[in-house]
Amino acid sequence: MGLLAAGIGAGIVAIGAGFGIGMIGKAAVESIARQPEASADIRGAMILTAALIEGVALIAAIVCILLVFFA
Amino acid sequence: MSRILRRIAVTALFFLTINPVLAAADASEESENPIDVIGKVQDHHYLDVAGYHLYLPRILFVEGSAIPYVYGSTESAVTSGNFEELPDHSLVSTMGNDIVLDMSITSHLMYFWFGIILTLWITIAMARKYKKGTGRETEPSGWFQNLFEITFVFIRDDIARTNISENKYKKFVPYLFAVFVSITFMNLFGLLPWGVTATADITVTGILAAFTFFITQWNGSKDHWEHVFWFPGVPGWLRIILTPIEILGLFTKPFALAVRLFANMLSGKIMIICILGLIFIFAEYFNPAFGLGSSVLVVPLTVALYVLKAFVGVLQAYIFTLLSAVFIGMASDEHQHEEGQIEAHA
Repeated sequence: MGLLAAGIGAGIVAIGAGFGIGMIGKAAVESIARQPEASADIRGAMILTAALIEGVALIAAIVCILLVFFA
Repeated sequence: MSRILRRIAVTALFFLTINPVLAAADASEESENPIDVIGKVQDHHYLDVAGYHLYLPRILFVEGSAIPYVYGSTESAVTSGNFEELPDHSLVSTMGNDIVLDMSITSHLMYFWFGIILTLWITIAMARKYKKGTGRETEPSGWFQNLFEITFVFIRDDIARTNISENKYKKFVPYLFAVFVSITFMNLFGLLPWGVTATADITVTGILAAFTFFITQWNGSKDHWEHVFWFPGVPGWLRIILTPIEILGLFTKPFALAVRLFANMLSGKIMIICILGLIFIFAEYFNPAFGLGSSVLVVPLTVALYVLKAFVGVLQAYIFTLLSAVFIGMASDEHQHEEGQIEAHA
């Protein structure tokens, strides 16, 4: 049961994180295409935002790991 | 000459490796799982040096005694008769009282120290060089100083100066630089053979995040504390909700910082073990030839993952440093521009 929960949880995490980071990537590529001279600033902001999303996704991933190995 | 030396080194490495591998093959037949994932990422009381165990000292504080019991290794603690080892490798006292504090030196702690010692060595060596004038009066000499200068200028200009206000950022550059370099080392040590990723341990990243937390709060400006306890510009009853949320927010930021680094490093390690372990899983469940055949596909995939992990190791150190700088900058900022903005709106 723990394994099933971990599998489903990991899938949902992947959907959420992929959607979020995809949105960031889309916005960043669009803005770099519009203003190539500001690409350094945009890249920094992109990495920062992606890191914030990743943090939430990884907290969920840790919960899944705990379910697999310690539940 | 160098070719002979290289051949001797490779032969020695081969013989050093083959024996532990055979021993591990014997040991794995006893357990039910073909690979032990959690055992690889856990903290141990020994260092793995070329497959052999180098045992680390155990320092145990027992209830009712202020002096710790110090032993060279877990084995000598057991043979002394004062402690006995349980099947899950934890120690219990046989004297009838509990172990209150286990200050034993572990592999993660050793690798944490290695990272810090390397950082100290680099910074002290470079400071000596700059004191002599190289790099200040003349151009920086040697690839080492050039590499150092690139990293340092990057931390100072792109991380500290852009996120912390202009007249304050200088104070925090040493901390940010030390954190960046030592986390990079700790992350990359995990890629070495028999290496341990110290940052794949929540206590290590927790301590690092605690440093950021205390530095942030210590340097918090009046505005920062006003925002926490008496949020400006909102009706009074709303502060009943806002103040607890703001106080909670102080702690969630470093918590997320710790978990992000920890989870990234742990998941990278588990991913590599799982994918490399596919060979052994296939060999166990089907037959050894199948495992051998799958290695053609699995080994290049692992190499690609290693490259990705090296990149992620540096990136996570950057993100940790960047977010530390952002938090410090947010807390130490004195909102002078705010009144002007409100007047402009009115």
